[in-house]
This record gives sequence, C-alpha cells and structure tokens, in this order.
Amino acid sequence: MERFCLTKKKTIRVNENTWIVFFEEQLDFSPGQFIMLETPKLVRKPFVLGYWEENLAVSIQVKGKGTKWIVEEAKKIKGHGPLGNGFRRDGKGLLIISPTCLTMARAFEKKMNVDILVGSKSPVLFPLGYETVVGDENFLKKLSDLPEYDWYLVSGSRGMEEVCWEHLKGEEVYFSLEEYMGCGIGACKSCAVFTKNGVKHVCADGPIFRGDELCWS
Amino acid sequence: MLELKPPLVLLSGPAGFGEYLKLIDHRYVGGIILKTVTLNPKEGNSTPRMADGDFYVINRIGLENPGIHEFVENVPELPVPMIASLGGDSFEEYLEVARTFKKVSDKFCAVEFNFSCPNVKEGGLSIIKDRKRWKTLIVEIRKILPDSFLIAKIGIEGIFVEEAAEIVVDTGWNGITLVNTVRGLHFEKGSMILGGLSGPLLKPIALRAVYEVKRRFPKLLVIASGGVYSMKDAKEFLNVGADVIGVGSALFKDPGIVEEIGKYLMEVKG
Repeated sequence: MERFCLTKKKTIRVNENTWIVFFEEQLDFSPGQFIMLETPKLVRKPFVLGYWEENLAVSIQVKGKGTKWIVEEAKKIKGHGPLGNGFRRDGKGLLIISPTCLTMARAFEKKMNVDILVGSKSPVLFPLGYETVVGDENFLKKLSDLPEYDWYLVSGSRGMEEVCWEHLKGEEVYFSLEEYMGCGIGACKSCAVFTKNGVKHVCADGPIFRGDELCWS
Repeated sequence: MLELKPPLVLLSGPAGFGEYLKLIDHRYVGGIILKTVTLNPKEGNSTPRMADGDFYVINRIGLENPGIHEFVENVPELPVPMIASLGGDSFEEYLEVARTFKKVSDKFCAVEFNFSCPNVKEGGLSIIKDRKRWKTLIVEIRKILPDSFLIAKIGIEGIFVEEAAEIVVDTGWNGITLVNTVRGLHFEKGSMILGGLSGPLLKPIALRAVYEVKRRFPKLLVIASGGVYSMKDAKEFLNVGADVIGVGSALFKDPGIVEEIGKYLMEVKG
C-alpha cells in the first residue's frame, strides 16, 4: 500500500454514464483489489483496479461531482492503494459484471480461467469483447440459462447482486461489494458489512465475500 | 506535561488503531489518539455509516470497537506515541473501563475520555448532562488513574466548553480535546443519515471553542479538533492558543496533509 499520483492518459465512454479511465503509470496489484482516488470532494472514492488495452485503468460510473471531475477534468489524481484482498480461485469461473467493473475483468483474465458476462442497463457504445446483455429483462433471461461453472463472481450494483444471488444460491458464488468508504484501509469502520461471522469491513476484509457468508436481508 | 513532537495528533475515529501510519511518514506525527474503546464490544450502527456533503463529512459509526478486555490483551504496537480513547455507556462503565485500562496505562502517553460521542444512546453526550454527576465521575476516574495524563473530549452540545473546561481543571485533569463532532442530518438518495458532523464546517466552531477555553485556562493543554485541512487551518488554531493540532476527517481527503502540517509545526514549535 502506498500513496501515489496517477496521470490520466485518456477516457473512453462505455455507455450512458460509464467511462473507462486509462493511466500512464502501472501498479502492481492482484485481481479484486481497489484504489482510493482523491477528487475535489472531502472523501476519496474507491475504484476497482484493472486494465484496458494493457494500461492500468478503472471503470467509472459518473454519479456526482467527484466522478464527473475524474472523467472530465482531472489530469493528475492523487490516491492510495492497492487495497483490499486479492482474489484467487482455481477451476473455471464466470465473472458477472456491470460496465462499472469492466476493467476488473481484464485483471481476472490475466490470472484465472474465466468467462465474462456483462450486464448493462443501457446500450453499450462499442463492442466490449465480452458477451453483453442489455436491459434488466434480457439479463434475467440470461441468468436463468447459465451454463455450469466451478465458481461465480458478481461485481455490479446492489440490484444485480440480489438477482444473481436469487439465481445462484447454492452455487459457489462470490460478490465484490460496494459500500461507502472513508479511508479504504480499515481505520474508519464506515464500510461495515454484516456477515454470519459478525461485522466485517469491505475495505479490509473484502471487497470480495462469499455469498453464503453474507446476511441477505 | 505532554510533549508531542511535532504537536500534531491523528484524531480518534478517523485514525482507527494506527492503520494510517502505513501511509504517513512517522516523523511528522507527534501521536495518535486511538479509536474509542468501551467496556463491551460494539458492532456499531447499520449502514450507511458515513456520507459527505460540500463542506462536511457526517458519520454514524456508533463506536464499533472490540471492547476494553480485548483491547488490553492486544494493545497495538505503533511507532508513534499512543493516546488511548475510552468511553462508556454509563457512570459505572466509565469507571470499569478505567480500571481495566490501568493494567496497560504505562503503554500510553495519555488517555482521552470521550464524553461527547453523538452516535450512541447512552454515555457519550448524555453523560455530561448532569454536571454534578459528571464531575463526580471524573474525580473517580482521576482516583483510578492517578498518574495518567487525562484528557476530556468535549463537544459543543450538552455543555458550554468553558464550563466543561472549568470542571476539568478543578478536578485535576490535564487536557481537553475541542471539539467532538456536532449532531447533524444529511440526505443521501432520499434517506436520512443522522450522525456527527466533521470537516471544514466545524472549523469556526472549534476555533471559537479553543479560543474561549484557552483565554480562561491558559495552562490547560488544548488539542484542537475540527476542520484542520491545511497549514493555514493549523496556523489559525495556533493563533487562538491550541497546544496540539488534531487531524481527523482530513485523512479521508489526503493523508499527505499530515506531513505538510507536521513539517510546519516542527519549524514553528521545534
């Protein structure tokens, strides 16, 4: 874990509200880890690490002032990381992701045997190179018709997590969770997640948790 | 006297149990006030536990901590002087926490008692409402910890800070941390978050609190806590008499600010 300053190289728009942001620098990280990036706002924001066209990259959904600044204005961005625990599984896995986690897929492909399924609420603006389903109805249809895998990993919105859990309960399924973070390093305790083994924290104990460990309510 | 070099502390809450020291050059950190520990372990509140607005951060962590017994068994070993932060849910709990802490008190350069957490139903802010009882409590704590450097963490609710400072001085305590977060309400995606406000919005309030207390009690050690995000902020707190500069929520924006302020304090304070 270290502090750094990343130089933005370019951005590509993926869909209505999601961009891929490329950086000049490289970072050594494991699939599943994330970084905290500074914006003009008062609290740094977490972004899962990945690659695009061999560059260090993150996917960013523009939700407010901070993410808009990274996509549109930022040149140099302070941050710290890599954070959280990396993920490693043998066997054949399926990564079910939203466009917000697109770059993460590249990191998984480099280290593990995975297929990728992208579920996007709005049309994507270029071929992503992965099977992509657009719209909730198509996504649900796809989930009902998934081939067997040794394990599954879901990284997307809370809604996506919930429908995937409904369909995949009983399988070995993992979730890369998102929760508001203050520090990203286990200090502030803001990103609590209530599990069957007590309170955990997304930043320090995760961000990836096994589905049957979580309290789904 | 508490000698911290530089006179800069990472504040209880954001500073956790020392995790930020992996990101900050220790030379510029005079000390760390650890997360508040209570008698029994606390799971903390449901999520969301934090949000940020344009000029503030709001949190409702709810004092998640392992409890004093676990804490004394596993005191963190950190490369900077440590100040413990202790809390309780009742008069008796504060005393029990103090008694248990005594076993390890020599590992700490000071101990701060949190009399102002806005996010717990009992203890915290509510303990200070009954002045006489609170005074009795801090007299009893002093008896349990006769050799410790005792600091009271006080907010602006439930008591005037100068009134609290007078009680702190009269009972032979050594320092005061001003101020704790202030109760606030924030809307996030249509839901209300009720918690403690920190960040830039708190700075004028904290400056006034430090000013009022230091004016009346110049010998009382004052740790400034509230809205320090820059060297300019640190200077302003020094101008109103703060002895130690606390950095809390600013860690969430840029941990590097600690080094900048620490270097400045080394220059002006030696």
